[in-house]
Amino acid sequence: MKKIFNVLLGVVTSIGGFVEAGSISTAAQGGAEFGFALLWAIALATIILAMLAEMAGRVATVGRRSMAAAVRERFGFHYQMIPLGAELMIDLLLLAAEIGGVAVAIKLLTGIGFQWWILPVGLAVWLVIWFGNFTVIEDGVGLLGMVTIAFVVAAWRLQPPLNSVATGFLPSLPNHDLTRYAFLTVSIVGATVSPYLLNFYSSGAIEEKWTEPDLWINRVTCYLGMGFGSIVSMGVLITAAVVLGPLHVQVNSYEQAALMFVPVFGRWAVLLFACALGVGCFGAAIEITLNAGYVLAQSFGWPWGVDKPRRDTARFCAAFTLVLLLALMVGILGFDPLQMTLISVALTVVVMPLMVLPFLVLMNDEQYVKTHTSGAFGNGFLAVLTILGALMALVVIPLEVFGG
Amino acid sequence: MTTARLDRLIGRQILTANNRLLGRIEECRAEQRDNSWVVREWVIGSAGLLERLGFGVRLILGWKAGRSFIARWDQVDLTHPDRPRLNCSVDELKRA
Amino acid sequence: MDVAHDLLDKHIVDRNGHELGRVDGIVLDVRPGEPPKLTDLLIGASALGCRVNPTIGRWVHALEHALGLGHLRPIRIDCTRIEEIDDKIKIDLSAGDTTADVVEQRIRTWLLKLPGSR
Repeated sequence: MKKIFNVLLGVVTSIGGFVEAGSISTAAQGGAEFGFALLWAIALATIILAMLAEMAGRVATVGRRSMAAAVRERFGFHYQMIPLGAELMIDLLLLAAEIGGVAVAIKLLTGIGFQWWILPVGLAVWLVIWFGNFTVIEDGVGLLGMVTIAFVVAAWRLQPPLNSVATGFLPSLPNHDLTRYAFLTVSIVGATVSPYLLNFYSSGAIEEKWTEPDLWINRVTCYLGMGFGSIVSMGVLITAAVVLGPLHVQVNSYEQAALMFVPVFGRWAVLLFACALGVGCFGAAIEITLNAGYVLAQSFGWPWGVDKPRRDTARFCAAFTLVLLLALMVGILGFDPLQMTLISVALTVVVMPLMVLPFLVLMNDEQYVKTHTSGAFGNGFLAVLTILGALMALVVIPLEVFGG
Repeated sequence: MTTARLDRLIGRQILTANNRLLGRIEECRAEQRDNSWVVREWVIGSAGLLERLGFGVRLILGWKAGRSFIARWDQVDLTHPDRPRLNCSVDELKRA
Repeated sequence: MDVAHDLLDKHIVDRNGHELGRVDGIVLDVRPGEPPKLTDLLIGASALGCRVNPTIGRWVHALEHALGLGHLRPIRIDCTRIEEIDDKIKIDLSAGDTTADVVEQRIRTWLLKLPGSR
């Protein structure tokens, strides 16, 4: 009974923790500029994320190793240092963007410029990690994140034409600005399939001490949790499509995105949007900070774990603190958080093939997954994804230049 | 006596006795003798480090397994660890 | 035993199950007429740096010197102390017999000044 409750909690917190700066900004832009036409991109990205996360969870649960540890051991440091370096660079930018997102949310509530909130938000992130444990952090963030259901409520109350929404799930070409459409498609994938999510998820499976009998929990959390979580992303897109689309608003800032709540929530629009953006980004900032510690400690063989006493994981604590400080330094430079989000999302796509390739090997290596190797379907999915990832990596920078 | 870093030898190119490139050292097989671990043989492959990635990469790239050789410890000269070379002919090597 | 597959980059644990770090390097003793012998496992940033490039290894070692750690790094574990090679490399030593925990201990000293560093 307790296990079922924990699984349900895991699904609920996955929903609450799904949207953050990347998914809000790309879905808002996608909806405002192309209506419902990019819903299929969110659905596809979610399927990719759920399948990769399930595989990462399987390596952690069966092989008792996080993804970073598995890649170091299986491929050696020469291979690993490239995706490691790339992931840390992207995590740094994305962390700065998420902290910026929280700062913008507070600005929406207070009117005080977002740059003033960067350091206090960074301190808050650090304090939650420093004093918290994994369950409190994950469940607390996820439950608070349920405020993002406001996007789903808004989309529902706007009563979009259901047949148009349904058509949005079929890939199609737009009748205008193909380059911009392609850029947003690739960005939605990059925003959803973030590298930090996979290692964070696998590290979480080890923090939660999952073992082989818990594989079903892994599957339920990934497919149901992330599946339902994507509905929130779709809520952002649909709301933006119905409200901002007809106004021909190109969402270039979070302040503009907040307008999408006005028709539904009236005078509560700014408050609700700020809460949804702020909590979503705060949760992501905590996860990215923790993940920076995880990935460094696991790669170099230091003791790690947010459930362990801090005195026993000194280098792990120093690592995530240092990365957070560096992100704050980037954040206080004052770059627009939404623009930083879009750049880090594009960089995610560039490194995607490096992220996916190890799965193809690990999921067929009994040392890491014992008898739970990928079948033909899993291997086929990974092979297709590697090729797709490579294609997206090639086009994303030109698309950012011409369509971004 | 020479000291070498085994981790730097893995992935390093190895030359034949007449200075032609044979391939890369992919693996070192060691065995326990008394209380020590000693090198028994070296695995040399033309596919190089990609071989370590195994079936997955070959599946995607359609990589055909290149020629691989196994050299006994006494068939490899490590006097200069940065430039390992065979001290026998290629024909004397075992095929993997 | 396949060294690259089974030994390199794996976690090393002491006799109490405490993790010392990863196998960042392996020292080989080459003598004429004898099979090369694995003498030491190396743990540490300078060992890893040297693996990438000798110049990087020297820079990292210089940094370790500057931090007062030069004489303690890289950590060397005699290969005759390897007890078991499995998912992790078990050695017949305890962490205290090595200098593996020095950096952790130094950072811990700073951390303990912060409230909540339980």
